[in-house]
Amino acid sequence: MNMIETHDLTKSYGHFQAVSNVNLHIPKGRVYGFVGPNGAGKSTTMKMLLGLTVPTKGSFSINGKTYPKDREEILRNTGSFIEAPAFYGNLTGEENLDLIRRILKLPKSSVAEALELVGLTPFQKRLAKKYSLGMKQRLGLAGALIGRPQLLILDEPTNGLDPAGIHEIRELIRSLPKQFDCTVLVSSHLLSEIQLMADHIGILNRGELLFEGPLEELKAYAASNGYPVDNLEDTFLALVHQAEERGWEK
Amino acid sequence: MGKMKMALEFIKIKRTGLLPAFLCGGLLASMIPVLNMAARSEVYVNLPQPPLDILLDGNWQTMAMLNLLLTVIGACMVYHIEFADNAMEKMRALPVGEGWMFLGKSLVLACMCIVVLLIEIAGLAVCAAVWFESRGIMWTELARNAGYMLLLLLPAVMLSLLVASLCRNMWIPFGIGVLGVFAATMMPSGNFALSLFPFALHFHVLGEQAVELGAAAGVEILALGAAGVATQKIRRWFQ
Repeated sequence: MNMIETHDLTKSYGHFQAVSNVNLHIPKGRVYGFVGPNGAGKSTTMKMLLGLTVPTKGSFSINGKTYPKDREEILRNTGSFIEAPAFYGNLTGEENLDLIRRILKLPKSSVAEALELVGLTPFQKRLAKKYSLGMKQRLGLAGALIGRPQLLILDEPTNGLDPAGIHEIRELIRSLPKQFDCTVLVSSHLLSEIQLMADHIGILNRGELLFEGPLEELKAYAASNGYPVDNLEDTFLALVHQAEERGWEK
Repeated sequence: MGKMKMALEFIKIKRTGLLPAFLCGGLLASMIPVLNMAARSEVYVNLPQPPLDILLDGNWQTMAMLNLLLTVIGACMVYHIEFADNAMEKMRALPVGEGWMFLGKSLVLACMCIVVLLIEIAGLAVCAAVWFESRGIMWTELARNAGYMLLLLLPAVMLSLLVASLCRNMWIPFGIGVLGVFAATMMPSGNFALSLFPFALHFHVLGEQAVELGAAAGVEILALGAAGVATQKIRRWFQ
């Protein structure tokens, strides 16, 4: 059973196609890594799934629900973190989460739980604008995790974190499906990072989905196509390189 | 549910300085009739009209301009907190109807305007009590005028918020608002069509054409409110 399914999802800006006929199948209860170089269309796809931008063509369903009919229900069960941390700088970390808690009608204890999960409890009374970049990133993650949503959409969640922070958040993401019984869609431009936390991956380049499936399948696919398989980073680069060449030929 | 969503906007303005700004603005505006009377009471005390009419004739244009500038500043402030750290993006990814934020912010600013008008009415009442003691304070007239002033200020509130909701850079709506206020001060007062401009309405006091202007303000409030809500929904198509 898939948590997210997209059908020919397309987003164009004038003549430029940011996302082109993408068909995603994101299984329930898994960590799905969405990989692609900068500007591949990952964030745009995620924004479409959250209803932040309207697809030019195609459709999608999340847990069987469709947009815009079930917008509020989809968003109630989806935690998200898109591009950069988003918060009210004039409020403390705790107050920022409390605002989200009120909207989602969650118990008061959910704020403390989310702060604890991302290690922000000691800084909860500090104004969000005074947080370091890493702390802002953690606050954004706490805002996505609060209330244990069924689906988490995380766009490059480890940006701005130090190596220890990256490791910590990666472990947290990895543990989420078991801990919260949720599905995670996480994006990165680094396959090396995604392979450490994802079960399934989707590779996007110039708005086109080059590959989708479990990691083992990617290795088999790479071997059958003569791509390097020892290092997934090389596999990824070879895939992207060939797609680029095909694009130039067209 | 709607009440809860609108109440969120009151939480968001914490530490923004919005309330102190409106309190100071209200106090400043309320000082205008007091200082005017203190400086040249002889010009006014012997006039035959009712005290409130005299005070409003002599001071309302300046007070109204201050109120409008406060409204523009307030609108910029309440939307600046949404844009400054991308909070707007987070809110849009939460299950809140897209128009509620606009309506909530309208309510916040309307409440701030009520505070300002109450302070100003208090200033006018003080003037009436001190300089027109023998004629007494007409509380009913003051209350009716305050309500009317609020009604004519609300279209400016809605328009300022609509502009502020469209611009990430706070200085753009601020500039547009200031231009709008100064344009309104330069409009000929006798022209009914021009006085319907949202920033021009508030310069009018309860008197001739009160019903027409009140009705026009009501229509503008509804139209600008609907435009504000619709804009939030349409925004997704352009992102």
